[in-house]
Amino acid sequence: MIEWLHPGLIFILGALLIPVLKGKWKQIYLLLLPIVALIDLLYMSKGVFWRLPLLEYELVFGRVDQLSLVFGYVFVIASFCMTLYALHVKEDGQHVAAFLYVGSTLGVVFAGDLFTLYLFWEVMAFSSLFLIWYRKTKASSEAGFRYIMVHIFGGICLLAGIILHLQNTGSIAFDSFNWGTGWGYLSSYFILVGFLINAAVPPLHAWLSDAYPEATVTGAVFLTAFTTKSAIYVLIRGFPGVELLIWLGAIMAVYGVIYAVLATDARRLLAYSIISQGGYMVAGVGIGTWMAINGSIAHALSCILYMALLFMGAGAVLEMTGRSKFTELGGLYKYMPLTFWLYMIGAFSISGFPLFSGFVSKTMVIGSAAIVHQPIVWLLLEGAAIGTFLVAGLKLPYLTWFARKEKGPVVEVKAKEPPKNMLAAMGVTAFLCIFIGVYPQALYGILPYAVDYAPYAAGHVVAMSQLLLFTFVAFWLLRGMLHGTPTITLDTDWFYRIAGKRFIWFCEKPLLDFADSIDRVLKDLANSFAWFSRNPTAASRIMLLTIGAVVARPFNPAYMRYERDLEELRGMYPGETVHRVAIGTGVLLVLMFFTLYLIIYLTHGVLWV
Amino acid sequence: MDMGIKMEQKHLFGILYVCLVMSILAGVLVHLFIPSHAAFLWQEIPGFSAIYGFIGCILIIIVSKALGHYWLQKEEDYYEKH
Repeated sequence: MIEWLHPGLIFILGALLIPVLKGKWKQIYLLLLPIVALIDLLYMSKGVFWRLPLLEYELVFGRVDQLSLVFGYVFVIASFCMTLYALHVKEDGQHVAAFLYVGSTLGVVFAGDLFTLYLFWEVMAFSSLFLIWYRKTKASSEAGFRYIMVHIFGGICLLAGIILHLQNTGSIAFDSFNWGTGWGYLSSYFILVGFLINAAVPPLHAWLSDAYPEATVTGAVFLTAFTTKSAIYVLIRGFPGVELLIWLGAIMAVYGVIYAVLATDARRLLAYSIISQGGYMVAGVGIGTWMAINGSIAHALSCILYMALLFMGAGAVLEMTGRSKFTELGGLYKYMPLTFWLYMIGAFSISGFPLFSGFVSKTMVIGSAAIVHQPIVWLLLEGAAIGTFLVAGLKLPYLTWFARKEKGPVVEVKAKEPPKNMLAAMGVTAFLCIFIGVYPQALYGILPYAVDYAPYAAGHVVAMSQLLLFTFVAFWLLRGMLHGTPTITLDTDWFYRIAGKRFIWFCEKPLLDFADSIDRVLKDLANSFAWFSRNPTAASRIMLLTIGAVVARPFNPAYMRYERDLEELRGMYPGETVHRVAIGTGVLLVLMFFTLYLIIYLTHGVLWV
Repeated sequence: MDMGIKMEQKHLFGILYVCLVMSILAGVLVHLFIPSHAAFLWQEIPGFSAIYGFIGCILIIIVSKALGHYWLQKEEDYYEKH
């Protein structure tokens, strides 16, 4: 058995050479790396490779089984399409960041222990950050900061969970975690939170819809696939059959759709669609039957491809027109018909039209919700399918390529089709989407469990067709309501954008004022003690007289005299130190004290030791 | 909109109507001739998916627009101002 090179390493080490190459050679090299990685993957045998001893533990960089291989295949194939899409980008940094991102994701996928997982998890977060920052706008740099803050928080949760887990079990192997309620499962909770942040499960999802739309045109395409889908992978490994996930997933699917309806930016709409699609996968992991897990994996794989295609389409529009807001778009069909049709293949796939990729995977998850008899989950997931078609298949293309603005200044967009490499990338991805839809055995054949599911049963096809066709009817009737207005929609990022700001304001203003006032009171107290001790007798006289003046005022018509005395005394203060005592008196007092002490000592013994 | 697009639109809507009717008919046929293994009561209704698609879509649009209008949607510079 040959231990092949780790496919992640091909990307990570390969990325280092990118800045050295120039022009055509660089482009060839960029495309060659994913192909080499794919060949490497195809010839890889199953087993556990690349073990590395670290202290008393053993790091496992290569746990190769069917589950990790499947994700590996699709990540590498998708990275080829995305690299092709980004081929015209001149900045080496973007390519390097993207390749590190892909490589570290493959590292996560093949990680056999929790330390390795954590290592690549962090590299993934930081390398992807640069795909956002390279947009070089104020919005992108701020969104990038929020993005990395959330991911650092997620990473800390993961690390805390790993350490607790290590303490409880003494093992760093990455297998399914214990699940239950109680403090004993704290490590699992921490790890789950870390995973759920990356899977963008509400309410921990806002980093995605906040940052992805601000990423570069090509960077966003990379971002769609790796973070969220590798999170699904680790959920399948770690938490299969955890019932909580069913509900989180079902809510997530509908949540994403509702926000996508409100979205006013094309790429933000798609970002919410990623969240919504993730809901199916999370729910599938929660259901946990073989068919559901298979469905989750299949849906993750087809989602990687069609989501990339959709972002490529919206990105092409942004690249050519500089616009992604619905209020500024419309009527582009004249200029970009090819982009439109390629986008629509992605839209039909995400909506789950028969003969497109979403159909053969989404229905598996919905079907397994029916088998375990979860009517509410079924209705939510089916409802999210309606909404998905509504937003990604109807709203976005309608407002981008067709609807013209009657009101307001006419913004005439002079656009043309995007560069050839972008079109080619979209073509390849679109082909794959249709290929999986027409020939689902290609997808089912590589799933880890045997597939006993016929997507093209007459009942399924008819039900899905009815669902989508009548969704279109409803959309056409209400299409006027979907025109964007220049607004933003508040999401859970409000809590760290506004509540966070207010918290800092609270610390800086009221809290500091309070601290200041305590400070002042203490200082005054100290000052008054100092004043008092300068001349205690005079000070106590002044105090007594002050009280007397206040008390006597209502009764004594001659209180004015008191006041005058007081003024005088205050003026003299501290004045002469009081009552000097002759030194003999002092000595006498001391002697008396010693005598007293001697008597006590003789009668009672030592008073203190 | 010029005449050509209008004609084309009319044509497309013709196709749509045919598809709608055919999907309902196919639904009824499937219901009659293929033994069902419905997991839920509502799957016994022929054309349930059509009804759910139509009503579901209207509900999604109205509910989310209402949520947006009364609660979630703010002016674009909300985060700069607050």
